[in-house]
Amino acid sequence: MTNLFLGNLKYWLYGLTLLGGAGVAEWRGYSFTSINEHQVAPKSVRDNPGAYRSHYSTYTRYSGGK
Amino acid sequence: MKVRAIDCPNCGGSVELRGYSHSLSAVCIQCLTVIDTSHPQLTILKQFQDANRVRPLLPLGSRGRFGGKLFEIIGMQERQIMVDGTTYSWQEYLLFNPYAGFRYLSVYRGHWNFIEPAKGLPETTTRYLGKPALKYQGETYRHFQTAEAETSFAMGEFPWKLEVGQKVTVKDYIAPPKLLSEEITPDEVTYSVGTYQTGEEIAKAFALTTPLSLASGVFANQPAPAANLGSTWSTFVLLLVGLFVLSIFLKVISRNEVVFDQRLHYSSADKESAKVTDIFELKGRTSNVEIESETDLLNDWMYLDMSLINTETGQAWDFGREVSYYSGTDSDGRWTEGNPKVSVNIPSVPSGKYYLRIDPDMSDDAGLHSASYTIKVTRDVPKFWLLWLAIPLLMLPALWRTIKRGTFETQRWAESDYATSSSSSDDDDD
Repeated sequence: MTNLFLGNLKYWLYGLTLLGGAGVAEWRGYSFTSINEHQVAPKSVRDNPGAYRSHYSTYTRYSGGK
Repeated sequence: MKVRAIDCPNCGGSVELRGYSHSLSAVCIQCLTVIDTSHPQLTILKQFQDANRVRPLLPLGSRGRFGGKLFEIIGMQERQIMVDGTTYSWQEYLLFNPYAGFRYLSVYRGHWNFIEPAKGLPETTTRYLGKPALKYQGETYRHFQTAEAETSFAMGEFPWKLEVGQKVTVKDYIAPPKLLSEEITPDEVTYSVGTYQTGEEIAKAFALTTPLSLASGVFANQPAPAANLGSTWSTFVLLLVGLFVLSIFLKVISRNEVVFDQRLHYSSADKESAKVTDIFELKGRTSNVEIESETDLLNDWMYLDMSLINTETGQAWDFGREVSYYSGTDSDGRWTEGNPKVSVNIPSVPSGKYYLRIDPDMSDDAGLHSASYTIKVTRDVPKFWLLWLAIPLLMLPALWRTIKRGTFETQRWAESDYATSSSSSDDDDD
């Protein structure tokens, strides 16, 4: 068992770092997706939701369907 | 070590003898005459051609320490084999210690072996990994090569009667870093065991101040990099188990809590399409939020422009998703396209009070378009894709070592009797 660890010390370090990183990322809910824009919305959004223009509000669609 | 000198019966030059009474033949360094030293009347056995003279990498008289014992080089011979029309030659040094006896040191293209006589006879065993094998001291040696070796040059003294052009059949078996050699002559069969040594180890043993030439190619019993692939893959399996344990742990501790679930309606006739939801609370640590929208769309589309907004800080996450669902029947039968349900994962959202601003949009062509949709917000949903991504990354070192080892073994066996193709030009003899 000692040889398993010492003989592959670098592998263990790499693997445990990877597991730790993936675990923390999962724990914090990280994601590689960049679809979300972070900005500060004005307080008036609740009173006048139509006035707020988000990053995605200029969406134009090409109609699909078969 | 006591040195005795004799006069060469051919040229009269001085020949030094260091092997006490063990020396049965010696080579005059001046005229290359092989002298029978087994009795006081020195007689000439043979003579090497001067054209075959080689310069030893380690001079006669050099002393090196192996296994705590000091040995002196008292002889050197160059031996060669011919394989597929190509001559391969190597040097063998005869080492002597008055108390330990004789040992050998061989070198081929910078690869060294410290060779000792075998202690006992090896046993023939069943084929191992497809090759004939011998068992010696509990270890299985695979057959590597059989060749007829010839002594092409020698200098110094030897505990046997040296013959010019002396030929022996040599069968090499390997269990890296060991090499078991079976030397067969018409009179006897002898076994010796070599242990692979690097040039650095030899230079250290002989306390050389200048480094020996670097090894090139792969030698028969050269230890492979990543020698223990079993433990490498065991490490991978254990890390994989760790990954699954971590996944289960994260699954158990995740809140996976629905904090908002409401059914809403949209009509293209609405004067103001944008609306905000009631305030809901996201509890716990900073983690993800999943927002699911399910519509009753049929042959229509809807675009949901949404923002998740923190009531206290005003921090907003904007995102948009199109939902569309079409179905019908044509000559191929029934078809569907799209999905009336869509979900968005928002990573790393701190705890706090939030609401959603939703601005739906539908086709603005003629006719009324309307749809009902539900918005469901779930806090801290376990997503294992990062952990799944870790699996191939965890496997990379084991795969890399396996490929490296495989390449190394291919190079090793390319020099054997079991080569699948002819040796590369890189492996030609110097």
